[in-house]
Amino acid sequence: MNTINGKIVSVESNGELSLVRMVSTGLKFTSIVIDTQETAAYLKPENPVKIIFKENEVILANGPDCSISLQNKMPGKIVKVESDKLLSKLVVKTPVGNITSIITTNAVKQLDLHLGKNIVAMVKTNEIMLSE
Amino acid sequence: MIDVQLQKSLKAATGDLYLDVEFKIRRGELITLYGKSGAGKTSIFRMIAGLLDPDKGRIDVDEFVWLDTEKKINLPPQRRKIGFVFQEYALFPNMTVLENLRFARGKQSDDLFIKDLIDIVDLGDLQNRKPDTLSGGQKQRVALARALVQKPEILMLDEPLSALDYEIRNKLQVYILQVHKEFDLTTILISHDISEIIKMSDYLIELDRGMIIRQGIPAEVLTNHNISGKFQFVGEILTIKRQDFIFIITVLIGKEIIKVVADEDEGKKLSICDKVLIASKAFNPIIHKID
Repeated sequence: MNTINGKIVSVESNGELSLVRMVSTGLKFTSIVIDTQETAAYLKPENPVKIIFKENEVILANGPDCSISLQNKMPGKIVKVESDKLLSKLVVKTPVGNITSIITTNAVKQLDLHLGKNIVAMVKTNEIMLSE
Repeated sequence: MIDVQLQKSLKAATGDLYLDVEFKIRRGELITLYGKSGAGKTSIFRMIAGLLDPDKGRIDVDEFVWLDTEKKINLPPQRRKIGFVFQEYALFPNMTVLENLRFARGKQSDDLFIKDLIDIVDLGDLQNRKPDTLSGGQKQRVALARALVQKPEILMLDEPLSALDYEIRNKLQVYILQVHKEFDLTTILISHDISEIIKMSDYLIELDRGMIIRQGIPAEVLTNHNISGKFQFVGEILTIKRQDFIFIITVLIGKEIIKVVADEDEGKKLSICDKVLIASKAFNPIIHKID
């Protein structure tokens, strides 16, 4: 589980859903949750929030300028690569801390992901959970 | 509002224990006392019921004083308007279901009320049977009806369902919640079953060695944090298998077995039999109608 400490910037609600925009060390994050200020009191601008996502949900991409729908992008450098038969675990050092990603070993080979390489770690908006 | 302040030196199986608790229960609430054995749960029960005297304390129920050790007020159990259900059913074996209920009624209720109770807990077809011929779940329904015959204001349940299997337990939870609401009861439950606690109670008090260590809304107290994932279950770990950089954890949730993947660092902190909260976002699972 990756956990980043962030701060809520805005909460845009429609019915039961809210799109929460956050910031952590200058990087922007967004999450969509089935909660509003009525059901989760901490969903207010300026409040601290924990931004949580699983290692398996972290997508890695070469280069920062790819046009892609993912809203949560963390540029960084690979500081650890461990590969097994099917899966590999990579640790990316980013401004918001070390982010762990578990992807297939095939993907590691295809993208030539190796120690010291600059990449972008990304997470989909609906994969991010929030906690007080 | 029930206002409870109790202090007592106790001899527990784990050694001497000084029980010192203070809590309030709002009328109509269902609260659970939770904690290891020897934490003092049953002693608190017995003191509220008047079956055990505290060294020092007060119990106020609305404007009535049930107990005030300073003023030497101590109402006897029969004047405290409490109904009990225990793990053992304690029914009279030589009487039918109906006779068991009639025997317990005292002056407060008539046959019409007993009939209502029988309907609510679905004992209509069984009312002329003797307890020996009933299943565990049926006996506990009789015990629940019997606890209500005297029209108590407070219903006290000391692990009433722990001897029953999962499906029966589920049904009885529904019956208990139904009578709790129907009779506007204030209910105090002792339970060890986390899913039961989250499902049934409005408020949780966790005890350890005679002290209240945590209290609040059950899901928040038991999970320590309020996480936004809406696909949440509480379960118990059955197996942990390591594979590549992940752990595959098998968890028993109710009567279903599921598998969940955990990262290495998380997996190392888990062991078999641990109680865990599984949370995912509501966006991920697919839903498939079963014909």
